[in-house]
Amino acid sequence: MAKKILLVDDSASVRTVAGIALRGAGYEVVEAANGQEGLGRLNGDKINLIISDVNMPVMDGITFLKEVKRHPNYRFTPVIMLTTEAGEDKKQEGRAAGAKAWIVKPFQPQTMLDAVSKLILA
Amino acid sequence: MQRIIQRFFQSAQSTGAPGAEAADAAAAPNHHAHALQIWAAQIDTSRQQMEDAVVALSSRFAAIVDQLDSALRMGLSGDGEGVSNDAQRAEVDLLEVVNSLKAIQHSRQTLSQNVRSIVAYIGELRQMADEVGVIAFKTNLLALNAAIEAAHAGESGRGFAVVAHEVRALSDASRQTGRLITEKVGSISATLERIAATNESIAAEDDQAIATAETRIREVLTRFRSRTEAMANAVNQANRQSGEIKEEVAHSLVQLQFQDRVSQILSHVATSMRALGAADAAAGAANTDELARRSLETMAASYTTDEQRRIHDGLDAKAVEPQQVTFF
Repeated sequence: MAKKILLVDDSASVRTVAGIALRGAGYEVVEAANGQEGLGRLNGDKINLIISDVNMPVMDGITFLKEVKRHPNYRFTPVIMLTTEAGEDKKQEGRAAGAKAWIVKPFQPQTMLDAVSKLILA
Repeated sequence: MQRIIQRFFQSAQSTGAPGAEAADAAAAPNHHAHALQIWAAQIDTSRQQMEDAVVALSSRFAAIVDQLDSALRMGLSGDGEGVSNDAQRAEVDLLEVVNSLKAIQHSRQTLSQNVRSIVAYIGELRQMADEVGVIAFKTNLLALNAAIEAAHAGESGRGFAVVAHEVRALSDASRQTGRLITEKVGSISATLERIAATNESIAAEDDQAIATAETRIREVLTRFRSRTEAMANAVNQANRQSGEIKEEVAHSLVQLQFQDRVSQILSHVATSMRALGAADAAAGAANTDELARRSLETMAASYTTDEQRRIHDGLDAKAVEPQQVTFF
């Protein structure tokens, strides 16, 4: 069965672009447009990895990440932050909140896929 | 953008004395604020249109990749090496068929040789049957002489005459048996000759058929090899082109991400313009320099990209390259 990835980004184009690469590599992708929607997708189904933007309306990526790490079923799910945010302070904030990797857009699809295959849970 | 805003305010301020605007603000429409709101709305609309177009374009790319994969799976599965291997396996299999036919041909030749050997034994049997006839003839003569001598002996030779008679009877029986053996052997010999002749005739036809089959099979294999080599080249070329197209799509996916980057930058600008317009409307166009400065400060706090910060500091925006992953 295909491994499932939750992809959270307010940009439909980024969700589409990342989705093409992930689905092409054989992953099942569930999409959400912000952190609040992302939390709504954590409904008990097995999620093998989360990819999240940082700057989003309604609920930003760092807040979402902290909520995921508080969730009893998903606290160990690896999270990759995928963002235009290149500032070191923000990156360290993500690290402190429990992110496993930080990818700055624009990204090479293969770079993202390599990070996913390295971190995704069995 | 900063220069445009400054030029706009300079132009606006040059139309009246400072301080007079505040007094007139309530009465006169605030063109500064109105213009900023319209610019912001124009930017937002453009940003949304661009996002819609890029999403549609990305979906087209996804469809192209899917169709490409699907076409390759349906029409040209495997690779060129696989096609060549299939052709080689077919050649080996068909040549095995030729070899099997040749083995049957060899068996038929062996059968002919064995039949010929039996025919040779038949000759010996006929000779032996003839010898039986000669022995019977000699025995008959001997018995006849014995009967004559028994007759000369008179009464005392009567018993010997009876024996001579029985020997002659046995001699006749032997001659009869010898003749029957000769007849049967002749019959068997004729049958075997016919079998051998038929077998040799069939073998000759088989030789011709096998030679023709081998020639045809080799011709088919030559044509097949030529086609499969062309097919293997086509498969390799299709796979290579597929890889190149996917690489192009991957490059395009990187470029398409700039929409998100541009959208964020424009969003920050539009938000800042809208806030400045609101503040400007509230202040009645007074102290616009200070409002613009504060607005830029607020916008700077929202920056996420390096080029935003560089432009804000009056530097050139560097070309943005795809980044590596930072693992924690």
